[in-house]
Amino acid sequence: MINVSPKCIGCNKCVPVCPFAAIQLIDKKAVINEACTLCGACVQICPVSAIEITREEASARDLSGYKGVWVFVELMESPDDAKRPRIKPVTFELLSVGRRLADELGEELSAVLLTDKNYGFEKELGAYGADKMYLAENPELYEYNTDIFATAIIALVNKHKPAAMLYGATIMGRDLAPRVASCLYTGLTADCTALAIKDGLLLQSRPAFGGNIMADILSPNSRPQMATVRPNVMKLAEPIYGKVAMTVREDIKIDKNLRRVKVLERHLTRDKGGVKIEDAKIIVSGGRGMKTKEKFKVLEELSRLLGGVVGASRAAVDLGLKDKSHQVGQSGATVSPKLYLSFGISGAVQHIVGMKSSDVIVAVNKDPNAPIFGVAKYGVVGDAHEIAPKLIEALKKK
Amino acid sequence: MHIAVCVKQVPDTTEVKINPETGTLIRTGVPSIINPYDHFALQTAIELKRIHGCRVTVISMGPPQAKSVVQMGLALGADDGVLLSDMAFAGSDTWATSYALARAVKKLGKADIVLAGMQAIDGDTAQTGPGVAQQLGIPQVTFCEKIDIDGKKIIARKLIDGGYEVVEVKAPVLFTMIMPKDYVPRYPSFLETHASLKKPYYVWSASDIGAEAQYLGLKGSPTQVARIYPPPQRGKALMTNGSAQEAVEKILDIMRKEHFIAE
Amino acid sequence: MPSMDPISRNLMLDSLKAYAKKHITNDFIREKDQANEFPAEILKDMYDHSIMGVHLLMIPEEYGGVAGGTYDIYRICEVLAHIDLGIATSVFATFLGTDPLNVGGTLDQKKKWLERIAKENLMVAYAATEADAGSDLLNLRTRAEHVLKNGQLTGYRLTGNKQWISNGGVADLYTVLAMAPGGPCWFLVEKDMEGFSPNKHEDKHGIRLSNTAGLSLDNVYVPKENLIGEAEGQGLLQAQAVFGYTRLMVAAFGLGAGWEAVEQAIRYSQQRIQAGSPLCDKQGYTHKLIVPHAVRLEASRAYIEEIACRLDGGEHGLQTEGAIAKYSASEYGNRAAEDAIQAFGGYGYTHDFPVEKIKRDVKITCIYEGTSEVLEMTIYRGRWQEHLKTRGRYYADIADEMDALHAKNPDVGAQAAGLALRALAAVLEECRLAKLTRHQTVTFKLGRLISMAELAYVFARSAAKEKYSESVRFDSQAWQAMARVYAREAALLIASEGLAMVLGCVDSAGNLSAAVNMDAVQAAQKGMTADMDLVAVKLKQTFKAR
Repeated sequence: MINVSPKCIGCNKCVPVCPFAAIQLIDKKAVINEACTLCGACVQICPVSAIEITREEASARDLSGYKGVWVFVELMESPDDAKRPRIKPVTFELLSVGRRLADELGEELSAVLLTDKNYGFEKELGAYGADKMYLAENPELYEYNTDIFATAIIALVNKHKPAAMLYGATIMGRDLAPRVASCLYTGLTADCTALAIKDGLLLQSRPAFGGNIMADILSPNSRPQMATVRPNVMKLAEPIYGKVAMTVREDIKIDKNLRRVKVLERHLTRDKGGVKIEDAKIIVSGGRGMKTKEKFKVLEELSRLLGGVVGASRAAVDLGLKDKSHQVGQSGATVSPKLYLSFGISGAVQHIVGMKSSDVIVAVNKDPNAPIFGVAKYGVVGDAHEIAPKLIEALKKK
Repeated sequence: MHIAVCVKQVPDTTEVKINPETGTLIRTGVPSIINPYDHFALQTAIELKRIHGCRVTVISMGPPQAKSVVQMGLALGADDGVLLSDMAFAGSDTWATSYALARAVKKLGKADIVLAGMQAIDGDTAQTGPGVAQQLGIPQVTFCEKIDIDGKKIIARKLIDGGYEVVEVKAPVLFTMIMPKDYVPRYPSFLETHASLKKPYYVWSASDIGAEAQYLGLKGSPTQVARIYPPPQRGKALMTNGSAQEAVEKILDIMRKEHFIAE
Repeated sequence: MPSMDPISRNLMLDSLKAYAKKHITNDFIREKDQANEFPAEILKDMYDHSIMGVHLLMIPEEYGGVAGGTYDIYRICEVLAHIDLGIATSVFATFLGTDPLNVGGTLDQKKKWLERIAKENLMVAYAATEADAGSDLLNLRTRAEHVLKNGQLTGYRLTGNKQWISNGGVADLYTVLAMAPGGPCWFLVEKDMEGFSPNKHEDKHGIRLSNTAGLSLDNVYVPKENLIGEAEGQGLLQAQAVFGYTRLMVAAFGLGAGWEAVEQAIRYSQQRIQAGSPLCDKQGYTHKLIVPHAVRLEASRAYIEEIACRLDGGEHGLQTEGAIAKYSASEYGNRAAEDAIQAFGGYGYTHDFPVEKIKRDVKITCIYEGTSEVLEMTIYRGRWQEHLKTRGRYYADIADEMDALHAKNPDVGAQAAGLALRALAAVLEECRLAKLTRHQTVTFKLGRLISMAELAYVFARSAAKEKYSESVRFDSQAWQAMARVYAREAALLIASEGLAMVLGCVDSAGNLSAAVNMDAVQAAQKGMTADMDLVAVKLKQTFKAR
């Protein structure tokens, strides 16, 4: 419930702040209408604390006994060994952050691996921080299937009661985690950009409104507290080779009839040549300022010269300057190259969340106040259409 | 076949601005639109209706003005529309939203296919679709770009990490839709919009769909927003002003210094 | 017809905007503008009821239309003007051409022709203007002679020339004004009738995407069923009956085109850095080139909306009000576009930036559907009568209303609006006493002062409302500040220019200088700069650089 107390002084500060146009000033008092989603933006802005959101306590669930941090291990086909899959890098990134969380809680970090065969991943997982590896081995786990994987995870969670569980925000993770969360009636926060422990709870930070604003999310009354994190967002810890995760075998029964969705064909496009933008070491990226598709092509040449990959902001993609597969940002790829060279990108948060962990960011933009200069290491105020061709010329001379 | 399409009204996030002085969202003048992914889901449903003669129901949840997206669905060719609107829904996170939408789909009777966008652009969570499927106890196929009905089987083309799959599933099933490259959003003509006013449209409250209050709104939501704040600004960049030629020299300097090109 | 529900209206607006975003790009417009070319394919889609069907707004439901009201049409016209005023004019010509039918057609005629327009996507042209008959339609030279068969009237033969007819060269159906033996009347002429031919497309200053051509009618036989209303001599009445809202449509054009120019300038001003800071942060720039125009356009919006709602509520005529709306919005739109060029500096003077095209386009709104000067006279005539009839109470009463509003809500400029209205009443009264309306320049200027006073009044009232209409893109803080700025400007201008005008005609202006209350008017300027600062900030927030 949301209430405006008589303390309201009619200052009008809350009216423009409401993202849903749910507040009107009537007779010099804020009045909240049915469009309210209880997002709390007005509560924060009110100078006299006149707006209050009260939350009725959910029927108390027994949360004692939920301990430890889990990371879901995601596998991918290995390009060099068709028989033995590889662990996706995002898993190691999750273990890196998970280690920190577990240490803060003083609890264990565990990796959860669902597979048709034990490939002996306990060393790799251990090196990145896992204390334990829960291994569910079953022939039905030969490929990802929502129902089968969700059922297995739910069974393990109910048995071992972890306090928190992290998934990669890959297509698989974004399919699996919400199914699990729905069934367990537990909180799930998507695409977190930062995770921390606050008063024993998992504090999950994520962008919202297309990255225009940040929100901190808590799931205080349910366990496990679940979150997804996109690849390349969390910094990879230095592996400690020699540390091995203790294998805990889990015998899971899987009913064949659970496989309600059958895969007829699978096409993997990644080995068609060319580097995927997520893995690129150098990215030359363009935004709305590149104006036309023709002019954008200059960046393609520049990127070729530097041996990089072309990126684009959402605005550039929306304008049709570049294909969606090149989009960097909240609704595109998250990247962390060694060099991110941007032209004509003003730097909406939507874009910045996708590239800010690049090692060196060099931004070229006409507007000296462009937010991109807030994250760039080097800023160049100037016209991309003049600078990019001259840069190509100079590089060619070398 | 009966198809239920879930659509959401969202602020056009490309138009959302931040007030630099207060760090808050500026809402004035920001238009509300149909979530673009839901728009494609809706068009997919209408296309299936055109080919197979399905019945299409549009469902949305939101304040009274969210009627707009339901009416747009009707104008584009859906047969009937439902808006879940009730103060009891306010503050629902994806779990509580999924619960309410699933209750509404159940009330419709037997829906063979449930369609939704892969995610909404205001939250980008991609959780509501799978949540609805789970609550309905039906399988889900997420991130689809194409759906075909072949007798009792439904064939979908879906994205997976690093490629795509073609999968087969039997109804009832829920699909979430991405937007394929060649997709052109269609908007209703004036006549279609006008005619949509005559189509069946219902507003359902929490009690209409038999939803239990404890699972709705803030109270029913496992996640809580602890704080909203402007995105952090990082330190200022080392800036260069000057002619294009000077700028090029500077960039070359930087690249040399950072060892991207040889000295 | 009353207006439709807001959701349906906004869905239609969204469809129109989405279409324009995809098909009517800046590059496309620039190309057509330079080539002086009518974008036939765009207009075909606009009139295609399965794609857009904009023309259906003017057609009642029973004939296959969507039955738009005045408010709907105002909103659509504003959006069209944001896109391109040439395209907007082409759509408007069909609205206008359909009007005589809606107003004066018999049931059978409506059924036949409105249904055809709706279903066959007919583009219509409104053919009234001639070389010697512009705003003065009585000089009509096109003749309609009776054609008799066995002593019975079977039809008419139309002969004459029409000039500057929008859609003239591209329409399927023309409503043509001609002088019949029984007086002026409207005829429905189809494009392939024998003896009818359009002339060449004009090479115009602006709205170059709209087709404008003369028509020649050489003994064109028109059956008597095509005489609108099937009675002679009704033509001028039928034309005048709709001036209230046809002028509102042109007002919406001035508003939309003017705002488009101002928006472009606001966005640009945030990117252009001069002497270390963006132009948008420089008062000398914003308070001269941006803020006053935004304020005046919003005052026009408040007025247009008020009149649209009254027409939708069933009031008829409102010719003076339609004239005030059109006069104000078109003049303000024109000046806004002029200063938008200035705001862009050298860039504004090139074809690379759209503001110079908008400036060329928007000028037409000061000319067609009654020039600004004809309107100044119309406005003066209408209100002079009221002044006389009420023995000077007309504006004094409204001023009292403003004082009462100010007591309730001191933030909406009602006090300054009250001062403006009282000053106007005093000037009118002095003109009556000194018989100054014998000077034509006085009457025209009165038309201008009246418009300002009425806008200030309506803006203050609108800004005081608890909920603003869907078209207002500002919060109450911003809109109220705009209302205050406008009211101050109106009060100062009416008091000073009114007094100067009277002094220009007479030896002594009696006690007019006391009556316009210049001291109070000047005292009311307090807070002007702070309000303009606030508006400048709000404009920057609302129209962020892209």
